[in-house]
Amino acid sequence: MSAVVENHDHHDDHHGPKKGIMRWLTTTNHKDIGTLYLWFSFAAFLLGGAFAMGIRAELFEPGLQLMDPIRYNQLVTMHGLIMIFGGVMPAFVGLANWLIPMQIGAPDMAMPRMNNLSFWLLPTAFTILLSTAFMEGGMPGFGWTFYAPLSTNYPNVAYFVFAIHIMGASSIMGSINVVVTIMNMRAPGMTLMKMPLFVWSWLITAYLLIAVMPVLAGAVTMLLMDAYFGTSFFDAAGGGDPVLFQHVFWFFGHPEVYIMILPAFGITSHIISTFSRKPLFGHASMVYAMVSIAVLSFVVWAHHMFTVGMPLVAELFFMWATMLIAIPTGVKVFNWCATIFKGSITYETPMLFAIAFVVLFTIGGFSGLMLAITPADFQYHDTYFVVAHFHYVLVPGAVFSIMAAVYYWLPKWTGNMYDEKMGRLHFWLSFIGVNITFFPQHFVGLAGMPRRYADYALQFAEWNAVSSVGAFLFGFSQLLFLYIVVKTVFAGKKATPQVWDGADGLEWTVDSPAPYHTFDVPPKING
Amino acid sequence: MAKGPLQNKIFLSLLGAVAFMFLFSFMLVPLYNVFCEVTGLNGKIYGPSDFFKKNNETYERQVNIRFLSTVNGSAPVTFYPTETNIEVMTDKVSKTSYVATNNTNKKLTLSIVPSVSPGLAAENVKKIQCFCFSEQTLGPYETQEWPIRFYIDSELTENVNNVYLSYTLFETEREEALALNHEH
Repeated sequence: MSAVVENHDHHDDHHGPKKGIMRWLTTTNHKDIGTLYLWFSFAAFLLGGAFAMGIRAELFEPGLQLMDPIRYNQLVTMHGLIMIFGGVMPAFVGLANWLIPMQIGAPDMAMPRMNNLSFWLLPTAFTILLSTAFMEGGMPGFGWTFYAPLSTNYPNVAYFVFAIHIMGASSIMGSINVVVTIMNMRAPGMTLMKMPLFVWSWLITAYLLIAVMPVLAGAVTMLLMDAYFGTSFFDAAGGGDPVLFQHVFWFFGHPEVYIMILPAFGITSHIISTFSRKPLFGHASMVYAMVSIAVLSFVVWAHHMFTVGMPLVAELFFMWATMLIAIPTGVKVFNWCATIFKGSITYETPMLFAIAFVVLFTIGGFSGLMLAITPADFQYHDTYFVVAHFHYVLVPGAVFSIMAAVYYWLPKWTGNMYDEKMGRLHFWLSFIGVNITFFPQHFVGLAGMPRRYADYALQFAEWNAVSSVGAFLFGFSQLLFLYIVVKTVFAGKKATPQVWDGADGLEWTVDSPAPYHTFDVPPKING
Repeated sequence: MAKGPLQNKIFLSLLGAVAFMFLFSFMLVPLYNVFCEVTGLNGKIYGPSDFFKKNNETYERQVNIRFLSTVNGSAPVTFYPTETNIEVMTDKVSKTSYVATNNTNKKLTLSIVPSVSPGLAAENVKKIQCFCFSEQTLGPYETQEWPIRFYIDSELTENVNNVYLSYTLFETEREEALALNHEH
């Protein structure tokens, strides 16, 4: 189903970008939009990180030092919302914009104007969300999961709802664009199974987004109606059911967590293959594994709510279904290890991040398996063990893969090599920082420390102090990342077109930096 | 750019998928209720259901019923059962009551939401009369006794010997409840 793209009559395609700010406001170029997304997500990452620093500073020792519990809850909520919807998701969309057209040999995304709109909706949404900080009642403080009826009784919930609506619209447009681009604009000869894994991972992610973002929109709409229009979807007083909210939310929420990890699988596959100087082991099985993970993600949502009082049959079903996901994930980890096996490995910064991803994401996966065991989950539910689990899959998982991708493709984007010594320093600071932050949270969680409180019992003091020190190390070492990226944009050793000697793929056949327009004539794919 | 019938087709079908999933999220509400009704899950009390019925053997036996009461949030009402624990024979109608007192000088409109635990016993609790069937009103400082008439049908799963009837009292005047919640 590969559609051939030729005979463009877009004469205006062939001059360079506009000058000044209008270039960025009106751009329809996938590379510009990718850059905008990536910088936006970097800004959100630093802001969300600043909130996390506030949280860890408060938890440095027991008692209330810096803020009252309401402020603390607001920081927790905004940290989650900003990191998920502003940090990780836009970073992956930015990478998709930069890389998908170049990896499939297309001149641009299929719908460039919609692409521009879907980016510029994001700053709009976050302005609305963050504006609550300056209002009476303050920012939302009900957790990023906004369980009703707590959230329906909260001040400023309408701002939160509209912000989510707009972010959802942005994600949906971005996903439709990705699917249409991949389905229609592949270079002749590039069959579906020949597509690079990053493209595959995004095709699956885009379908997941199209399926679940509307459900999130529905959930927040019902919330808005409960809060302001007198309906009782989730209000038991009017015949509604608060447990229903959790079902609707997690029906969105579980596929959402795979949305935040599938592109990471794609990135890691490219990087490990490049620096092992071997083709990826099991390309087709990687695709099937991702498809199975995506399908299974729709039937496991209730493992987030084992303690709401479900019948035994349902608890068992969701337990087994959740554990089943370990199989395709295990296939992926096996394939990465098999790719490294007997390879000619070098440890440049992207490879260090990718290996750390495989190891630490797997640790997060194992704690996920522990949480999947229903009877054990009654002990772990809403403790710091859960916090440790999802931070292990999201920070050294998703975030490390994004950093790996930035180091890996930065020479292609800017034409300059980054400073390898500084890159490795950034990696080791991040790696050590992340583990010092989150590993002790397993211990306090198993010992019974609950989530979402500004204070804690004295016996958790030591590990929380350790965790905070690690968090500051990790947080401040990201300023080094910012410095390295900015420095590479302006200076550095010139990069060759192929950049890495093991790199394979269409994006490495164009010059570095990639010209403003690539593949105006589709390349021919051999074999 | 590849503007063609294929692209439009994919674009429109994806847009259709988005619209469908949005409606689907609302469809989850009745689906969830129907699912709970068919299976008797979540302690919801509706009509008879044979979803979990194993056999048709029924016999009369004694079941212990416990009564619980909860006042939601900041509702200014005292609410408790007159008896916390009674033994009933299956298929025999029993009567007990709850007492509610309004602690304010205003008239209150209240709704009381029932729940049965274990959830699978919900379909076997048959209520003939209950204050949870409709909204209740209490005048200023008024105390009322609210009766319940019910029976436990003998199709109750045999490994259930204790049934908990729980009632949560909500103040239906939502505006006032909201105002109270916002005074942090």
